[in-house]
Amino acid sequence: MSEENNTNPEESADLDNSRRDFLRYVCTSSAAALVVASESSAAAVVEEANSADAEVTVAEFFQGHFVLMSDEEKKQAIARLEKRYSAQYGKKTTVSDVAAPDGVLFGYALDMSKCIGCRRCVHACAEENNQSRGESAIQWIQVMKIPKGNISFSAEELEKGYPEKSRFGDYGVQVGGNAYHPAGLTTEGAQSYYQDEAVPDKDFFYMPVQCQQCEKPPCVKACPVRATFRDHAGVVLIDYNWCIGCRMCQLACPYHARRFNWGEPNLPAEEMNPKTHYFGNRPRMKGVMEKCTFCVQRTREGRNPACLEACPVGARKFGNLLDPESDVRKVLATKRVFRFKEEFGTYPKFFYYIG
Amino acid sequence: MKETAMTDNKNSRRSFLGKVAAAVGVIAAAGYVKTLISGATSPTVGVAGKYTDDAVQQEEALLGNRLVIMTDAEKTQRLDELLRCHYKEIS
Repeated sequence: MSEENNTNPEESADLDNSRRDFLRYVCTSSAAALVVASESSAAAVVEEANSADAEVTVAEFFQGHFVLMSDEEKKQAIARLEKRYSAQYGKKTTVSDVAAPDGVLFGYALDMSKCIGCRRCVHACAEENNQSRGESAIQWIQVMKIPKGNISFSAEELEKGYPEKSRFGDYGVQVGGNAYHPAGLTTEGAQSYYQDEAVPDKDFFYMPVQCQQCEKPPCVKACPVRATFRDHAGVVLIDYNWCIGCRMCQLACPYHARRFNWGEPNLPAEEMNPKTHYFGNRPRMKGVMEKCTFCVQRTREGRNPACLEACPVGARKFGNLLDPESDVRKVLATKRVFRFKEEFGTYPKFFYYIG
Repeated sequence: MKETAMTDNKNSRRSFLGKVAAAVGVIAAAGYVKTLISGATSPTVGVAGKYTDDAVQQEEALLGNRLVIMTDAEKTQRLDELLRCHYKEIS
């Protein structure tokens, strides 16, 4: 300590000078290294940008929400996607942006007494909607196999119930009819991953579950970036490029009908369906959500969903809930229709019924 | 005095760097332990397992539910609610 205090001022000045020189050298060499690095990285970026894929990726990264784009921006976004998908899958791929028809509210009905659990709807859905295959398989429809003993109601007494009245008013508590019996069915003891050699099993009935296209969708409310939204035909859709993959919508869905791409989807080129829609079946990427869209690429063009066309027993009905003559409205008017998870107040437009 | 402060054991640059290194070490160790714990509790491993987990979660969410048959009045009420909600959204 005393030695340091006794240091010669000239030596101290030399020390300062050498430190200053050292720092100067360090700064100079760092700056030179930075310049060289930036030049080389810029060259790499330029080289990458020459490939169509990189151009598309950068452009996609900066694109906004599709719904809020101008017509010109939409055209450019679709052209980019078509170019990339065509190159990636080696076939001419189209990405449609046909708008939802006016005066339509899509609804779906499924006859559980007809469904035989063959899962053709599941496979047709996967093929139509370019879902991931193999180990990373994603399926938008899950078929539940439910023991027949779980169903219990008296058809004669169904309409005999009435709200209880008292001197305090009508509380809406049902008495009479089926009030004292379980009127419906439970999914207790059901299984989704049955491996039966032959279907149907006579002791079970089957219940395919997919997105219920709620009129008040909790997934839409949960999405922090509005990547998922409901179109004016009542179908809940996702802008895959705007989705940030936070999975809040998956947590919010009472039916767990949403699927997340944990990795890059595995979609073989020969199995890829080249007729796609921006909000529908175009190939997805890692880190985004996906779900049933009522085959938006079909239904917006007046066709039926793929699952309906694949059903060999005609258990599925699709139509316009605003049209009293549609199949779905007729089912609602004439069949025994179930409430499913009604307590969540989401107003699903997917109805299960028995014929 | 400035040089003196640099060699003080409590306030020296070396002791400061030592504290920084210790803090980084503690944080790294905590992160590693967390990784070990979460790895041990996860029912499935790898990306493929996560896809399976999602499907299993859906199955669990659908089990133990009751589907109740609606009366004619309830069906009408349900349809009215749907249509009202739709027209409200449209307007």
